[in-house]
Amino acid sequence: MRFIFKTDYDQDIRILKHSGYWWSYGILLAVMVATPYVLGSYMQSQLVFVFIYAIVGVALMILTGFTGQASLGHAAFLAIGAYTAGFMQSLGVPFIVYFPLAAVLTGVVGALVGFPALRLHGIYLVIATIAFAFIVEEVLARWESVTHGNEGMRVRTLDLFDIPIPRDSDAFYFLCLLVLVGVSVLALNLLRSPTGRAFIAIRDSETAGKSMGIDLAAYKVKSFAISAAITGMAGVLFAHKMTFISPEMFTLLLSIEFIMVIIIGGAFGVHGAIFGAIFIVMVDPFLTALKDDVPVLVSSIASSLGMAKETATDLRDDLSRIGSAAGLKGAIYGLIIMMFILFEPYGLYGRWLKVKLFFQLFPLYKRATFKRQKTYVKSERNR
Amino acid sequence: MRLSILKAALLGAAFGLAALPASAQTKVTNNGITPTEIVIGTHQDLSGPIKGWGVPVLNGMKLAVEEINAAGGINGRKLRLIAEDSAYDPKKAVLASQKLVEKDKIFAMVGPMGSPTVIASQDILFDAGVLQLFPLTAAEFTYKFDPKKPQERLKFSNLLPYVESTRAALKYMVEQKKPKAVCIMYQDDEYGKNVFDGFTQQLDAMKMKPAAVTSYKRGASDFSSQVAKMKSENCDLVVLGTILRETIGAMAEAKKLGWDVTFLGATPTNIPDTIGLGKDTVEGLYAAGAFETPYADTAKGRVKEWTEAYKKMFGTEANTQSVIGYNAVMTFAFFAELAGKELTGAKMLAALEGGKAYMDIFNSPPSKFSNTNHLANTITQVQQVKNGRWVVIKDGLAF
Repeated sequence: MRFIFKTDYDQDIRILKHSGYWWSYGILLAVMVATPYVLGSYMQSQLVFVFIYAIVGVALMILTGFTGQASLGHAAFLAIGAYTAGFMQSLGVPFIVYFPLAAVLTGVVGALVGFPALRLHGIYLVIATIAFAFIVEEVLARWESVTHGNEGMRVRTLDLFDIPIPRDSDAFYFLCLLVLVGVSVLALNLLRSPTGRAFIAIRDSETAGKSMGIDLAAYKVKSFAISAAITGMAGVLFAHKMTFISPEMFTLLLSIEFIMVIIIGGAFGVHGAIFGAIFIVMVDPFLTALKDDVPVLVSSIASSLGMAKETATDLRDDLSRIGSAAGLKGAIYGLIIMMFILFEPYGLYGRWLKVKLFFQLFPLYKRATFKRQKTYVKSERNR
Repeated sequence: MRLSILKAALLGAAFGLAALPASAQTKVTNNGITPTEIVIGTHQDLSGPIKGWGVPVLNGMKLAVEEINAAGGINGRKLRLIAEDSAYDPKKAVLASQKLVEKDKIFAMVGPMGSPTVIASQDILFDAGVLQLFPLTAAEFTYKFDPKKPQERLKFSNLLPYVESTRAALKYMVEQKKPKAVCIMYQDDEYGKNVFDGFTQQLDAMKMKPAAVTSYKRGASDFSSQVAKMKSENCDLVVLGTILRETIGAMAEAKKLGWDVTFLGATPTNIPDTIGLGKDTVEGLYAAGAFETPYADTAKGRVKEWTEAYKKMFGTEANTQSVIGYNAVMTFAFFAELAGKELTGAKMLAALEGGKAYMDIFNSPPSKFSNTNHLANTITQVQQVKNGRWVVIKDGLAF
């Protein structure tokens, strides 16, 4: 167990609290930088999707995790970012301009959504954001001169200072990694500032926050705008990764996926967004790999235990037939998510913290440390 | 200055390359071909919104593989099919394609499902030199290619395109029925837009005006306003750019209003499921189609054997979708056989573009390609629901 001797008030809000942080995050960064040189493009592509989902996750974490404003409209923000990129690029605007522009534009739209959302709470806010997402989807389908409507839009290869960056290149991977790291640092920095503390105050109790002099309206709009702007950036990367965008790609289902990112990751820390993105993106390829490899593995074990070769082959074929049954993967996926919500309400990051604390306090770890405290249960009346 | 020299050099190179025979510059992979087997891949929607297509298509493909292997394979090589579920999600389709190319080292992608899923993942195939054969989407991008981009030559389509089939069927119906007011109801997406385009192009060509144009959002279940509008415009021929439930929904609504009108569906309505679900409601519906619908009890000869084999293998009746899946693999096998014993990617491409026609067992028009045309054919049939069965009214149609 590490004991930190505090000599400075700033130590409480430092991002890197002690030398251990330098080590662990330094190693993580080194691994991430080395990854594309080690792994093939299939794994690399998965990681790029993890980065893009994690960027949206960080955005949603700021809005939902820290300000307490749920949103099922983030697919629409992603779409606005993606279409801005596609349209600007077709006009010949360089990436270095349309990337920030997409963020600004999405941020402005986010602020506009934030205004009417001021008077809405909980489930009503969710409904309002769903409505917004439907409006955006409809606009994308109708505004054919810009979006090409339902036919969809081809997005050309990303071009940075006349150097093409194809979607499966190492450069694209690093670009996404850079944006994710940048956005995460920005989020962490935001959260230790007065703005971030105001966000958290709004989440925990609006009445208490208001009585402390927090301008609810201004901060809620700010939170929406920041969250939307970050999602817009992810949208640009998403468009270039997909090379094709159409309105049917940005549906309610995608918004639900984003919410799941932070719920599974743990909606109380920026880490959660990244854990959640890893889970949501990787679980499907992981199940695919299992489906391919488990039958082979089982049959080879069986034959080494003395099963006849014919029977072992039959076993392998039977298992792979079961493994590729239509919808089985979806069912397992759903089951995993249900298990998470039932047994791990703090998400993957919560589990990580528990494991870490267990080893730090060994053998004095108490399960009650992470018991939900009653004091945080809010009543509808007392907002 | 240096840049412009580079550009000039590139331009010169491009012209130089253009003078060469085109297949010389298209990179085609030899992955997936071993002395004993050929590995092909596909991604299907097995758990998403169009799994009513994905599952029977994959079954048809599996049946074809089984049949080919039982008969000794392709020039002695067994065929192995690796299928992934994309759930109609472009992201999953991209990852699945990468996995198939990189991990499974497929020789060709055969019959991948859906427009957004195929379009988002096709570059992966082209970059790796993997053929994209007969995707389950009749959109233009599956066969139109830019001669300047050699890798785009790797795409081939054998489906009847929506625009052309709608035009041919509509032309026939207008000539036969001589309607006074033609209307359309179409789904608000890329597919519906294609049907709508075919509809407007054909009416323009015949110097007619649409009487009413209505659309609906995918997943809608109420069509009362659309049908009421078309009725008030006195439409006597309604083109349906619909899929399954909407076809039935629109016809049920018309029946409810006591409106007796002729309906003409686009190709996706020409499946047994329309009748299975719609029963009496869809009686009399016309549809554009590519080949005769297989029915186990009335089929003859090889089609009968085929429907029985399908039933035995999967426990369900074969349908139009399974024919399409089956044909995708069979067409692949035909051209792979043609490419000879020393199969390579380049030989496969040459065989595909060689102009030999593949004839299936379902009496479809011949599938053949050339080095400028990668679409099998546009010959359309008109079928009608009579006594709960799809019956061919007229075949060999064009516009």
